[in-house]
Amino acid sequence: MSKNDNSQDMITTAETDLLQEIMNIAFGRAASDLAEFIDIFVILSVPQIELMQASELPVYINKELVSYDKVSVVEQNFWGKFRGSAYLFFPSGTGKRMISLFDGGSKFFESEPTHEMEQETFMEVGNILIGACIGKIAELLGDVSTYSPPRVVVEKSNRGFVADNLFDPDNLAIVLKTVFEFNEKNVSGYLFIVTKQESFGWLKNALHKYIEQYE
Amino acid sequence: MIKKILIVDDSPISIKIIKSCIPKDMGYELHDAADGQIGVEKYKEVKPDLTFMDLTMPVMNGFQALEEILKFDQKAIVIILTADVQIKAIAKAHDLGAFSVVKKPPAKESIAAAIKEANDALIERG
Repeated sequence: MSKNDNSQDMITTAETDLLQEIMNIAFGRAASDLAEFIDIFVILSVPQIELMQASELPVYINKELVSYDKVSVVEQNFWGKFRGSAYLFFPSGTGKRMISLFDGGSKFFESEPTHEMEQETFMEVGNILIGACIGKIAELLGDVSTYSPPRVVVEKSNRGFVADNLFDPDNLAIVLKTVFEFNEKNVSGYLFIVTKQESFGWLKNALHKYIEQYE
Repeated sequence: MIKKILIVDDSPISIKIIKSCIPKDMGYELHDAADGQIGVEKYKEVKPDLTFMDLTMPVMNGFQALEEILKFDQKAIVIILTADVQIKAIAKAHDLGAFSVVKKPPAKESIAAAIKEANDALIERG
């Protein structure tokens, strides 16, 4: 966890642990929703929670994606008491393999899939994964979310993508990260959920309320 | 009768939540382990009557740990307690020999019912 002057007071280790477990449950549900929609098996990993200055976020994401030359990104903003942005990153060349998830791997397309097809596929997958994950986090913590339409950028250098879209860089951000693989298609990706500092107070209260039901 | 329960989960808060869902009046002896590998070692040491096993864990995941435990003890009762609720994950757990699968977040009722079911199976086995 990044250290800065007030970060220690913002979220405790116990709260981080609980948020990690909630992210684990939420992404598990999102994977299940996607697997029902297209016939795949999503290999899940243990989510990570980081607290950092929002201005550190682009460097952090670049570091995480260092092995990805170019990326395709689905970005979606969400609002509620829990608010922020979600970024779903896939490495270069994923688009065509993703399209085959939707057509059952058949040679349906006579020509190469178009840029628009790739874009629509990413949008669909992103919409399901981000929507289900954010929705479940919000539900577990007693909130309801609304979403912006997903924005898709295909095959762009990952450098600078988040910096260009960042909310107030002076704010603190909680980053929830999970890495996943689509077993059958050898596709992996990253999901980053970034919450704004204005959500912190509500989030801490909601986490405490959540754990109270088990005490 | 179930006396000893092992909980294998990499999340300390999740272990705390699961423990809080286990009925207190039965006086179960509770043990825990922070990943699949430690879970297998703990299983061999403690020989629990029932194990709650997470799937998504570092070092050794729950599928691998389940296989290792069943290699050591074919009669082991391992209940998968997981956030991975994909149909294929649940089917794989059953195929590998899990006793049952309970979805996270756990509820006191679902944990109590799972323990009762495991207890009935133990009694039936004699």
